[in-house]
Amino acid sequence: MRSSMLPRRCRGWWLLALPGCGGSAPPPVAPPTPVAVAATPAIVAAPPDPLGPRPDVPAPAPFEPTTPAVFRAGPGVTVWLLERHQAPVVSCDVTVPTGASSDPKGKAGLLHVTAAMLDEGAGTRGALELARSLDDLGAHLHTDANADASFVSLTVLKKNLVQAFSIFSDVVARPRFEASEFARARDLWLNGLLERERDPDATARVVYRVTLFGPDHPYGHPWDGTPKSAKAITLDDVKRAYAAAWRPDRAILVCAGDVTRDELVPIVDRAFSTWKAPPSAAEPPVVPPPPAPSGPRLVLVDRPNAPQAVVAALKPGLAASDPDAPALWRVNDAIGGSFSSRLNQDLREKRGYTYGARSRYSVSRGAGQVVAWANVVTNKTGDALKAMLADLTEFASNGLTPEEVDRSQSQARGELVSVYESVEGIAGHLAADASLGLPPDWEARASRERDAATKAQLDALARRYFDPKNAIVVVVGPRSRVQPLIDASGMPPAELRDSEGEPVKP
Amino acid sequence: MRIHAPWVILAVSTTSLLPVGWASAQPVSIPFTKATLPTGMVVILSEDHSVPQVAVNVSYSVGSRMERTGRTGFAHLFEHLMFMGTRRAPTKAFDAWMEAAGGRNNAWTAEDRTDYFDIASSSALPLLLWLEADRMRDLGPLIDQEKLTLQRDVVLNERRQSIENRPYGVEELELPTLLWPEGHPYHHPVIGSAADLAAAGVADVKEFFATWYDPSNASLVVAGDFDAAKARAQIERLFGSIPSRGKPKDPGPLPAASSDFKTALQSVVRQTVTDNVELPKLVLAWQSPPHFSPGDAELDLLASVLGGGKSSRLYKRLVYETKLAQEVSARQESRTLGSVFVVDALVRPGVDVAKVEKALLEEIAGVREREVSTEEIDRARNGYEMEFVDRLQSIPERASLLNMYQAETGDPGFVQPDLDRYRRARPSDLLAYAKKVLLPGALVVLTILPNKDAKR
Repeated sequence: MRSSMLPRRCRGWWLLALPGCGGSAPPPVAPPTPVAVAATPAIVAAPPDPLGPRPDVPAPAPFEPTTPAVFRAGPGVTVWLLERHQAPVVSCDVTVPTGASSDPKGKAGLLHVTAAMLDEGAGTRGALELARSLDDLGAHLHTDANADASFVSLTVLKKNLVQAFSIFSDVVARPRFEASEFARARDLWLNGLLERERDPDATARVVYRVTLFGPDHPYGHPWDGTPKSAKAITLDDVKRAYAAAWRPDRAILVCAGDVTRDELVPIVDRAFSTWKAPPSAAEPPVVPPPPAPSGPRLVLVDRPNAPQAVVAALKPGLAASDPDAPALWRVNDAIGGSFSSRLNQDLREKRGYTYGARSRYSVSRGAGQVVAWANVVTNKTGDALKAMLADLTEFASNGLTPEEVDRSQSQARGELVSVYESVEGIAGHLAADASLGLPPDWEARASRERDAATKAQLDALARRYFDPKNAIVVVVGPRSRVQPLIDASGMPPAELRDSEGEPVKP
Repeated sequence: MRIHAPWVILAVSTTSLLPVGWASAQPVSIPFTKATLPTGMVVILSEDHSVPQVAVNVSYSVGSRMERTGRTGFAHLFEHLMFMGTRRAPTKAFDAWMEAAGGRNNAWTAEDRTDYFDIASSSALPLLLWLEADRMRDLGPLIDQEKLTLQRDVVLNERRQSIENRPYGVEELELPTLLWPEGHPYHHPVIGSAADLAAAGVADVKEFFATWYDPSNASLVVAGDFDAAKARAQIERLFGSIPSRGKPKDPGPLPAASSDFKTALQSVVRQTVTDNVELPKLVLAWQSPPHFSPGDAELDLLASVLGGGKSSRLYKRLVYETKLAQEVSARQESRTLGSVFVVDALVRPGVDVAKVEKALLEEIAGVREREVSTEEIDRARNGYEMEFVDRLQSIPERASLLNMYQAETGDPGFVQPDLDRYRRARPSDLLAYAKKVLLPGALVVLTILPNKDAKR
């Protein structure tokens, strides 16, 4: 069987996919404790420890990602290429800088469904034929849109690259957008959105966006839309969105893996030979402003009878191009981005309230978000929230310990190495950079800056991005049981929201 | 004492004999050396310098099928306890030291095996080995009630988060119980029952460690960017002197003293449960041949033909054409004593679940009655070929595969023979195993219906 499908119980759920588990733990802490080689007083010498003392670990060599080669090919498409010849695999992404922040009012999810429609028939192939052709080649093709950009990605064995790239280019440049396929895809999409409401974590993510940015902000809706907006979107909307977003003069093609420039250029030239930019000027990427500042808020979503509550503290984050962005990785590792981070050690390993407490920051072209959260046993909702906020306050007030400063440096290095382990990882990571307008040497520069960040810099970021004072606290849990527990912990009055983040009457 | 182990390069296969028509097939291999320490611990080393990273994988041959009655969930609970510290590495130090060295770790427990893995920069390898040796040697006797209570609470929260509070999570609890008879080692889910978890005591923990966490029951892999000669010396020093009480006996498929015990499903077993979900889910499950036994790979291929993405038969009929289902999938879940072949569908709003069942069963009957086409089997094979090559890019994956092959076949170099199983299979083989396994009169039909909670 395919190992990725094995149902297994895992120790932790973390940032990086590890074999057999949904994710893994990254990084930090703890004072180097002296190794106990039984220091007995005198006379009778203790037997030597067969393991010897704990080995010292020399600092790992800095890891600086290779910068991709940049050139133009085909109809003026910018290409980033990072060659890796260890395995006979190639991964390519095409990205355009238009995502959910361009969704028109009332049409949340338009760019999402536009991306989803790209492979429902393209070029000479209908939806199923296209899927069969890709599977005949063992190729993986994926379409996606996030807040700022849209993507089509392909991973395939080198020997099948030419054929697979031709289908990939159909999906990017020649989608068919047939009415019957749209009706079908929209139906599936709508049902998927109804399913989303039953998942507490997915619900929490929707509520984060809506409450942090507000419904009138370009980032203030879920990328994949809402049941209401899905019904309002037409195929004409999709065609218009495609025409504005997917133009060769706005696209960047990122490839990584077992292919050289000389091999790639003719493939791109041929596949994209008919993809032309219209004469009209291309729309510039949307750069949304930061969300309006708010005081402390409590947002509660009722999930009757749930055995756990999601508790979260949410704050505005930073833009991808912000000079502070590289170092925030380390700050996040220290507070909630790793197994030995403060939040996880406190809420899980000290108190046993949760399977894991974490924090995460996301960057975007405008303003990102920072969130710390845990799924906690319902009857500890109030205690868990108090502990989480206290940990964040302490972190923001006093900054990182010297151990955390050192540890986060090693951790961030190690995590970055893992990103560069597979060609999909490389292409996906670089395509995300490209989609946000970051330069090709961004990863190299960012790794140096991240590595060199001082304690003072890191402390300033901890203060700015993790102080819970004006955070939005989100709780998704059984209201009748959690509300009294939260009220007892001195929170502001709860704003009640539904699972789409819409206000509900108390 | 220095141990002289027979370090021999056992497999560096880059070519293999392929069936006709597969001239362009991609060879796969993971170079390695294997040795067994005098204590019985297997050591597998695999050097590869493409990324400055090293992975350590320690596999213990113990899983939920070795659990005693009344102690379900124990193997997995114990996996959590393996991080709770020793004299040399006190509670919290394991993670703290590893992460301070730029490393990270995780672990998983399944029915047959428990697997621990660490990933770090190459310079941290001596520390990773030292930490693994330390807990293999000393951890069990130092477990106390406080450590146990804490990790039991964590595991109960894991159960809530990944099963009780997750849509369709209940499937993981129901299927094993319905598929395997009471007394069978697979009858209970790996996570165990909340009551059993609460009943586990410190004495149980110590006994479990002494029995199963013996060096003779462990296999260590180091993979990635490291110097194998140096690592060998370190491993011999750190692990070679861990005392062994002898290899524990694998209890195998049946409870002792029950020679007339029937494990084969004899009828159609129906169960309907409710969960906090939007759409009904229908799950059909059959008992199927064990991992790596004849039929296992054929059923993997059949699963791809039936439910592998948009080009599959079930997608075409149920999702695309008749619009009965929102999603469909099929999979062979391979295990040591016996596998499970699962076909499932999310039922669209307003559609009769019985109609979906009928359509699924007709498609199953189709593969039982007629050979799949050459195009279909080639497509499925190409998917597997891609998956093999793709996974081998990752050092932690390679480490994990070497230990999986060691545990399941005794040969860490089984990757090429594994892939060849898929290359060899013919449509007639798929037909033969479909007839034998996907029986119309011996399956589980599990229906998960929406309950009344959390309606908007």
